Amino acid sequence: MSFSSKLRSGKFLITAEISPPKGTDTSPLLRDSALLEDIADAVNVTDNQRAVMRMSPLAACSILQGKGLETIMHITCRDRNRLALESDLIGAYSLGIRNVLVMTGDHTSKGDHEGAKPVYDLDSVQLIGMIRKLDQGFDLCGNELNGRTDFCVGAVTNTILNDVGLIKFRKKIKMGAVFFQTQAVFDVRGFAEFMEKTSEMRSRKVKIIAGIIPLRSESSAHFLNRVPGIRVPDDMIKQMKDAKDPKLEGMKIAAGLIRELRTMCDGVHIMPIGNHENTRALLEMAGLL
Amino acid sequence: MIISRQKEFNDILQMLAEKNVFIIGCGKCAKKQRVGGEPEVKDMKNRLEAAGKNITGWTVLSSACSIRSWEEVLSVNLEIEKSDALLVMSCGGGVSVISGFAGKEVYPALDTVSLGGVVCNEVVTEQCGMCGDCTIWLYGGICPVIQCAKGLLNGPCGGAVEGKCEIDERLCAWDKIFERLKEHKKLQNLEKINEPKNYMKKVRVKP
Repeated sequence: MSFSSKLRSGKFLITAEISPPKGTDTSPLLRDSALLEDIADAVNVTDNQRAVMRMSPLAACSILQGKGLETIMHITCRDRNRLALESDLIGAYSLGIRNVLVMTGDHTSKGDHEGAKPVYDLDSVQLIGMIRKLDQGFDLCGNELNGRTDFCVGAVTNTILNDVGLIKFRKKIKMGAVFFQTQAVFDVRGFAEFMEKTSEMRSRKVKIIAGIIPLRSESSAHFLNRVPGIRVPDDMIKQMKDAKDPKLEGMKIAAGLIRELRTMCDGVHIMPIGNHENTRALLEMAGLL
Repeated sequence: MIISRQKEFNDILQMLAEKNVFIIGCGKCAKKQRVGGEPEVKDMKNRLEAAGKNITGWTVLSSACSIRSWEEVLSVNLEIEKSDALLVMSCGGGVSVISGFAGKEVYPALDTVSLGGVVCNEVVTEQCGMCGDCTIWLYGGICPVIQCAKGLLNGPCGGAVEGKCEIDERLCAWDKIFERLKEHKKLQNLEKINEPKNYMKKVRVKP
């Protein structure tokens, strides 16, 4: 069953995130993806994440699709103007990529090509709208396509949202996002508030897949607390500090979060620091496998 | 007001190959920002002389980007003719206009960074993104093209931490836009889906 059908089926979904290699050696990509083959409903492939240059997600997704994995291709507004975005999207669809995750993209000044020109020709709301035009068989300017796309379009969101953030969330739905993958969740009560605040604007059609990052150490918790949209509660930091085996403790915390989130949303998105060697074990601990 | 800042002195020296240099300041924006008025021109003269340049003379034009007659400038600054190069302490507009007249090497001493203004004697930067398609009224008079680091038109990116922009200490422009529209009872403006900008208006503005 395709990811898009699974979304509609109401199944609790498991997605997992992979970064393409920095260079042409695809072996780490293949190693990591092989770990996810029979456990993830779809594999997310990042797009120059944190503005650090890597292999194009279009190429990496195509490689993974060739191995039988279903992918969710990330697409940011940072690196391409509307022409490049459209041609990449048409190319991706032609290569069998059916799911895209739209986001603004971290600013170039945060990455490893500080002096690069940030593009942001479109914003994420406009990009979702543009993809829906491609789906209808037209480009952004209304010219007819010879063969349309039919993407399953997702967007991202923080779960700590202020009023203006909520308005943007609503605009993404209005433009046609059918699922959201969230920033990493550590605070279940905060997540519940997010679900409550957005319940009316989501209706039942828009699915929420909660982000999960297993902590690896106390310092990883402090680091994540400086990441926009992430808030690791103090008691969790203490738990990591006191743990004899912090990596195992981090997995236990993540498994506990997944168990609680399972009743609140439509899936979880696993974004480990490093590779996916422990993802299967984590999902087993959480009772999902 | 055009916002400019002085280049690093070493960068000016590297660029300025010629020996005999005439310095031109600007009596408008650069003067107001203290990067190209008389005190800064004199300071530049002293530093260049200390670095071995021969400063043939200097002037501060009333406005470097708005010159009625180059002959008139020459007539009161005879040293320009005897100079190998001009160093212009104005925005890029002034440097460009003077380059068109001068018939010799013209170098910028400033980097032009944004379009701003002066409020109660305080210089404010980045007030207008010069997109050629002004819709600032939709955003409570706060230009997201320039005040949002990513120029987003439909809301914030989610990269702010405690209200501060992802790229530096500045406050998120979208929080400011929200507050201003709330104050003006115009929050409904934020519900509008703003279409992508038409860059034809910027690239080739018809006269």
